[in-house]
Amino acid sequence: MLKRIAYTVLAILFVTVFLGIDKSFAASAEENYKWYCSQCHGLKGDGKGINATPDQPVNPKNHTDTAEMAKLSVSDVENVIRDGGAATSKSTMMPPFGKALSDAEIKDLVTHLKKLCKCSFK
Amino acid sequence: MKGISKFFAGALIAFMLVIIAGVYQSEAGPAEGKSAFTSKNCGNCHLTAGPNTDKTFADKLKHKGPDLWFAGSKFKKDWLTGWLKDPKPIRPMGYNSIEKKNPGNHPKLSGKEAADVAEYLMTLTSKDVAKGVVEDGKPNIQGKIVFEKTQGCYGCHPVMKAGKVVGGLSGPSFVDAGKRLQGDFIYAYLKNPKALIPVKRMPTYEGILNDNQMKAAAQYITTFK
Repeated sequence: MLKRIAYTVLAILFVTVFLGIDKSFAASAEENYKWYCSQCHGLKGDGKGINATPDQPVNPKNHTDTAEMAKLSVSDVENVIRDGGAATSKSTMMPPFGKALSDAEIKDLVTHLKKLCKCSFK
Repeated sequence: MKGISKFFAGALIAFMLVIIAGVYQSEAGPAEGKSAFTSKNCGNCHLTAGPNTDKTFADKLKHKGPDLWFAGSKFKKDWLTGWLKDPKPIRPMGYNSIEKKNPGNHPKLSGKEAADVAEYLMTLTSKDVAKGVVEDGKPNIQGKIVFEKTQGCYGCHPVMKAGKVVGGLSGPSFVDAGKRLQGDFIYAYLKNPKALIPVKRMPTYEGILNDNQMKAAAQYITTFK
């Protein structure tokens, strides 16, 4: 009986660890931010990424704008990262990253954004 | 009678020589292209033996140029030959960079080398790119909606709009994508990016766009010329 429990626990651990590794390309939320988000939001998070060209229909959000960012809730931020602007009544220029990032990585990005905006979300 | 036999024997030999020369010529392109590719150290930047086994951003950052192990499934041969003779940046930014501009310093090949290397690269294909799925160059309204409204693809990919290049700069340019890319490749990449480019900056649309939307977007992109 004990043996069976031990095997089950080991199997769950194995699956969790390996599935986790398979999904994540980054070592940290900072790395994910730099890789994905910075393309539009800039390496400093000021909204001045290389895709923020003058002809774009919207400007990427400035993640260092404390007052603006503080208006958002944790679920607003999680939803917009996962499902993109379209799914949250915002611009479709913000693409969905829910298939590129795991839920845990999205939660870690929210924590990273709190540091960038020096704010806590609602 | 003897003269006639001699004539036929001569004709037969000449005919065989023509056939052999033809076979040799059709083999010469890819084989010579491969040796030019090797001697010019193109493999220092481009992967030709797939699949790509990158697991992390760090793995991806080790590559200095785009993978070519599926070049024959991705590119159009005429475009490839022309580009190798006179390479112009496809990506506004340097490969794998969002900080440095593309230096535009890709080596130029002579006419014969470009043709041979293109022949060779066209032999490199991926089983994950099915042929004949997308009808290249045919207008597609649904694809336009996906590209411009459902998703903002031009947020990262430069495109031509009203005679002006607009859009983002982090992705490869789509200004003349219809001359460069096979629609079947675009569709296969959207459907199963992991099989072709496992680590990338582009979001994954598998499970977000449906199959028809992916085909439509791929077809629409092939109308950019």
